[in-house]
Amino acid sequence: MRNDRRTGDVAIAAASVLALGCAVLLLAGGTEHPPPQPSTAQAARTDAPGAGARAAGTAARALPPSPPDRIRIPAIRVDAPLTGLGLTSSGSLDVPPAGRPDLAGWYESGTTPGEKGTAIVAGHVDNADGPAVFYRLGAVRKGGTIEVDRRDGGTAVFTVDAVEVYDAKHFPDEKVYGPAARPELRVITCGGGYSRATGYRGNVVVFAHLTGSR
Amino acid sequence: MRRTTRLLTGAALAAGAVGLVVTPAYGGDSGGLEVFPSSVEPGGEVTVHTEFCPRGAAAGDASAVGAGSFSLVPSTHDEQAAGRFRVPPSAQPGTYEIVATCAEGGKRVAGDLVVTLTAPRGQTHPRGGVKTGVGGAFGHDPVRTAAGVTALAVAAAGGTWLLHRRARGDGI
Repeated sequence: MRNDRRTGDVAIAAASVLALGCAVLLLAGGTEHPPPQPSTAQAARTDAPGAGARAAGTAARALPPSPPDRIRIPAIRVDAPLTGLGLTSSGSLDVPPAGRPDLAGWYESGTTPGEKGTAIVAGHVDNADGPAVFYRLGAVRKGGTIEVDRRDGGTAVFTVDAVEVYDAKHFPDEKVYGPAARPELRVITCGGGYSRATGYRGNVVVFAHLTGSR
Repeated sequence: MRRTTRLLTGAALAAGAVGLVVTPAYGGDSGGLEVFPSSVEPGGEVTVHTEFCPRGAAAGDASAVGAGSFSLVPSTHDEQAAGRFRVPPSAQPGTYEIVATCAEGGKRVAGDLVVTLTAPRGQTHPRGGVKTGVGGAFGHDPVRTAAGVTALAVAAAGGTWLLHRRARGDGI
């Protein structure tokens, strides 16, 4: 009789400890997955301007203008359709609809990817339901490849020069959006720290230039 | 080979013309050919594409703007036909019709190209950051939270039971 009770008590104790462990795991850890952010090693080199770009790959000849259809970033398993984006009333780049987290967009009044100049692509890092198309953009590294399928039937291949994080208050418009003498690409999403009160503090920006086509 | 191609192209153009005369609704006279950029300076390059040609081959005609004929070939990554031409530097501002005739079936598709003397694109670039996230990746999953609360309740119940037993002096 007493032994039975003892066994029961031990079982209850074990179950309680197990339940407590589960509760801690479920409630405390594991529910927050901040998107990866680039390290300072991925930033553009300031000591030798252009050195990083030359090391990463020779610039390819510019392609004629053609709107893009898809973007692929193999290193972070992105393969997404592109929609055209305009500007908001405040002059910032509009974004794809929040209900389409798998969709990226490009600034269609600007340069087309592969053409001489700065082409701009943007996509969500997350929406209210969880991670979106560019959730892992901050994990892209220098020398990585970005491919853009174009409507003229070709594919523009870009090589990553740098991955930077900018605070929204000090966003370097000219550096990110300004004109370029060769075909360049920017891929942008939200990043730079997050707080529930103010949201994401800034943006992750991938800088790349055209190194080939097929 | 070249002769064959020319003959085929000629036949396709003729078929297209006949198709237009006999069944005007078939031609899709306005539309079907996407022209990019839709507005260009003299000397600029233009890409056209259409999804209406079977197997993606077509003969393009940009003679309206003085750029002559060009070919549309199948895209490497989808079923569309795409081609390009350069607007002559001497082209006058105005709206011109660019035409393509499918190699197969002879369907005729067209699109408008505007030639303008001022650069229509790339004049303004965006300002400031981009609002591409709301923090949803940080959100607590409601199912997970409910499971956690349940597990916590089970642990509390078990603990209370044991403490109660101990206080009563039943011993563990």
